[in-house]
Amino acid sequence: MHGKMKQLSTTDHIKSLRGRGSAVLKGFFMAVSQLTDFVLRFFKELFKPPYEFSEFAKQSYLIGNKSFLLVAITAFIMGLVLTIQSRPVLVEFGAESWLPSMVAVSIVREIGPVITALIFAGKVGSGIGAELASMRVTEQIDAMEVSGINPFKYIVVTRILSTTLMLPLLVIFADAIAIYGSYFGVNLKESVSFHLFFLQVFQKLDFTDVFPAFIKTFFFGFSIGLIGCYIGYNANTGTEGVGKAANSAVVFGSLMVFLVDMIAVQITSLFT
Amino acid sequence: MKKNTGNKIGLGAFVTTGLLLFVIGIYFIGQRQQLFRETFQISAIFKNVNGLQPGNNVRFSGINVGIVNNITQTTDTTVRVDMQIDERTRKFIKKNAKASIGTDGLMGNKIVLIAPGTSSEKGIQNDDFIEAAIPINMDDVLLKLKTTEDNASNITSDLAVIMKNIRMGKGTIGMLFMDTVFAQNLGVAVVNVKQGSQGFKQNMDAASKSFLLKGLLKKKEPAKKDH
Repeated sequence: MHGKMKQLSTTDHIKSLRGRGSAVLKGFFMAVSQLTDFVLRFFKELFKPPYEFSEFAKQSYLIGNKSFLLVAITAFIMGLVLTIQSRPVLVEFGAESWLPSMVAVSIVREIGPVITALIFAGKVGSGIGAELASMRVTEQIDAMEVSGINPFKYIVVTRILSTTLMLPLLVIFADAIAIYGSYFGVNLKESVSFHLFFLQVFQKLDFTDVFPAFIKTFFFGFSIGLIGCYIGYNANTGTEGVGKAANSAVVFGSLMVFLVDMIAVQITSLFT
Repeated sequence: MKKNTGNKIGLGAFVTTGLLLFVIGIYFIGQRQQLFRETFQISAIFKNVNGLQPGNNVRFSGINVGIVNNITQTTDTTVRVDMQIDERTRKFIKKNAKASIGTDGLMGNKIVLIAPGTSSEKGIQNDDFIEAAIPINMDDVLLKLKTTEDNASNITSDLAVIMKNIRMGKGTIGMLFMDTVFAQNLGVAVVNVKQGSQGFKQNMDAASKSFLLKGLLKKKEPAKKDH
């Protein structure tokens, strides 16, 4: 009797696991489908007038200019630390004169875009997620719909477009500042003139280093904005939903950055 | 309203500076690749390019003057290398200039090195071909090094056998170094030779004074003088 009950409970457990697994899978496919709809609606609304230039400019200022200081400090430290950490290995090979070229290629190709995008996901992605979620929770989005304003166009399109266009600019600044940080790092141990450092930086940089890295930053920005807006726009009601949306926007935004980076590297390696 | 205008100016400055930085970066990379300079093209036919790639530097008198534009296999044994060279160096490169393939440093990229040619020769023209020097192939160098190493190995093993024999006292040199009796005998022999030569000298002196041999010895003296 006892054995039969035990057997029954094990079967129930397997059934419940299967049920939970299929629910997760269904939820995942549902989310993918909703996200695809969201992306399609973004492109539809993007080209359809009227255009919200003023809101776009305001968001670009908030997303771009207001993130500059954080990105600049991070980039400077990144360049400095990368130089200090790489130096001993190159000294071992007697190749410390390669330090500027090596650091510049690492920063421009990979570290600059990815680190800036992660910082951006942390600051801007979470901000967008929390802002849109609180608008949803306080029914501001519903109020917009009632008053005849297209909330998707006004809130979502402007923000995604701003993140898409502002992140590449921030990455350009980050690269330049990180290279300056590297110059500072090189001069901690040896004396190299800025002119020589500058020449060595551009000695190994190529268009195949700059353009793929620059193009992928548009996709990073788009992904971060898209994830932040999607999660915030579809947030659950209640104050709990706001925190959850902010958290999810950072986690999934960062994950998307790495996924896009992996795809970008694969595509770039096909052509170089 | 004022704040809004300030924000817009800030955004404009941000975008302009960012784009300016990007353009400056592109300009410097392009300048290195001779994009914004007047250039001319020359080519060379190599048998082996040793891993040279398009985009590698072309060096003339130790200065980077251009880049490798294109590398194409023309026949089963020849490779054509097209180079884009800075126009300002054209007057220094003569028709009989020679191109060779070298390495930038010990572990660096491959580069094309151009030797200027003789000053009496005419200057090079656009789309001209220059002679290619046969590059030193590392495989050949290693092969020769291997032969040298084999020879050195044989010599050292022979030397080891000789040294072993000497230590064991085998052979004349071995006996000389290691056999004390032989050394003593050799010493005695040298003393005997010395004594013998002294005795012989005395005999010869005596003979020269003897009236029987005096005439014979006198006859031999003019013959010695003639020699």
